[in-house]
Amino acid sequence: MRDAFSNTLVALAKADPNVLLLTGDHGYALFDAFRRECPKQYINAGIAEQNMVGMAAGLARAGFRPFVYGLAAFIPVRVIEQIKLDVAHDHLPVIFIGDGAGFVYSHLGTSHQSTEDIACTRAIPNLAIYSPADRFEVSASMKAAYESRNPSYIRLGKSDRGDAHESELTTLSGSLLSIREAGDAKVAIIATGSMVKTALNLVDEGFIQASVWSAPTIKPIELEQVVKICKSNDAIITMEEHSVLGGLGSLIAEIASEFAPLKILRIGVKDRFSHHCGTYEYLLKEHELDTDSVKAQIHRFIQAD
Amino acid sequence: MTNQTKLFDPKVLRKTVLEMAYAGSTVHIGCAFSIIEILAVLYRQYLRYPENEPLNAARDYLVLSKGHGVMAQYACMRELGWLPEEAFTQYFADGSDLKGLSDSRIPGLEVTSGSLGHGFSVGVGLALGAKLRGTDQKTYAIVGDGELNEGPIWEGALFSAHHQLKNFMTIVDENGFQAMGPTDEILNLGSIEEKFASFGFETITVDGHDELAIDEGVSKLWASKSNAPKALIAKTIKGKGVSFMEGDNIWHYTRLSEDSYQQALQEVRDEKK
Repeated sequence: MRDAFSNTLVALAKADPNVLLLTGDHGYALFDAFRRECPKQYINAGIAEQNMVGMAAGLARAGFRPFVYGLAAFIPVRVIEQIKLDVAHDHLPVIFIGDGAGFVYSHLGTSHQSTEDIACTRAIPNLAIYSPADRFEVSASMKAAYESRNPSYIRLGKSDRGDAHESELTTLSGSLLSIREAGDAKVAIIATGSMVKTALNLVDEGFIQASVWSAPTIKPIELEQVVKICKSNDAIITMEEHSVLGGLGSLIAEIASEFAPLKILRIGVKDRFSHHCGTYEYLLKEHELDTDSVKAQIHRFIQAD
Repeated sequence: MTNQTKLFDPKVLRKTVLEMAYAGSTVHIGCAFSIIEILAVLYRQYLRYPENEPLNAARDYLVLSKGHGVMAQYACMRELGWLPEEAFTQYFADGSDLKGLSDSRIPGLEVTSGSLGHGFSVGVGLALGAKLRGTDQKTYAIVGDGELNEGPIWEGALFSAHHQLKNFMTIVDENGFQAMGPTDEILNLGSIEEKFASFGFETITVDGHDELAIDEGVSKLWASKSNAPKALIAKTIKGKGVSFMEGDNIWHYTRLSEDSYQQALQEVRDEKK
């Protein structure tokens, strides 16, 4: 995923000299290729995120195409007002990259963990939100954000979970990408980011019969597509490494409750901070997002039916 | 736009602000009055808008980071013919476009301000853009002294000095007041000039109501051979031009009555140059 990010960024920057990369002193090895290939388009803005986003707005007003990189805990959460006022309000084509979303920095504690970034950004008008699951979705999200000229936030989570798709995506048409068909089962799992792979594993190992959809685009969401999925299923399970408040689960539940009510299980972070530190896998377990805990939640959900 | 001394006459600008403030029954008159002469000099002698287009790609950039003074900028934009007359007579009417704080969707306003400490950084970005493109465009960011409480200003100051943005000038409207009282009683700034100098800016302090002094200061800063960003510290009086508003912070909040409106108009008209 990180290679896909770097390669796509370099390709975009080489094709368009107006592309600039601004980083808040993060991305040590990640930008080696970019700095080598496009040194004049690389700006380390220092540990000064608020100024960095304001500057990106100024650069975009002057015709540049800034990518603003930081850890998701800082970009977008720390600078949410700059994103709202300086960028989104004027519909400026600035692309924010929030890296290490969720519990990637599992040993570092709450300051570096980000489980509220989608909720914070979703309510900002004009701002598109992408949450790619694998390297193919990363490239496609970056290209879609660049070509749309919309202010955009791209959320990058755990990067080494493997591919969700079999090959490169030519487009992100539709908000939700079908990865597994359900056959006769009337259950759909809609997952985003790192949890797409978890969903796939559950289905592929036969734990549950369900269709699996990946949501690389959180906003704008294609309403009709979501409504259609709701109408053709008896239950939906959403999965995200993000709070159950304001993220993908909320989004699907909002649409379903208005247009096609059905039972929805929202699997995500249950409105709590991490208490402990440990490996990424340990943190997932603490938040009941590891495979066993997810299975238990689905089991209870289906039993209660 | 040089030699058009009749344009941007501070008396006319103050009159426009009073008319707007009265029509809209709005506040922040004092904040607008302290930057009248600064804006008059910039618009008259420095800001280049090719074809008189507020969004011309080759324009100089004026960022009013202290968006609370936006009525003074509207008054200048009126002189340029960028705003329809109804915008002034119908200020704050339902469905109208000109807001009580700077909104960058209005051509001619470069930043959406009111939340303080934003415009300075946007200005740094505009200046960086001009430097990267190799154009001679200049960027001015007007900040209030109260606004200097905001952290991003100092982040942007570090950046603009480190990157030697010699095309960037911040103008500090040092009127000595912020929303709740005198700046030195709330968060004492000490010497603003020394602060910017210590960040690596080239600095000059002037009387912010003396147009000649402002002109001289701006021109001296631009004439400098140094690559440093510039800071013009303008010592001003909040509410300048109307005796009962000068230095009285209540005019950050007070609306004009029929009586105070007439009296203020009279004083602005009679003001000796």
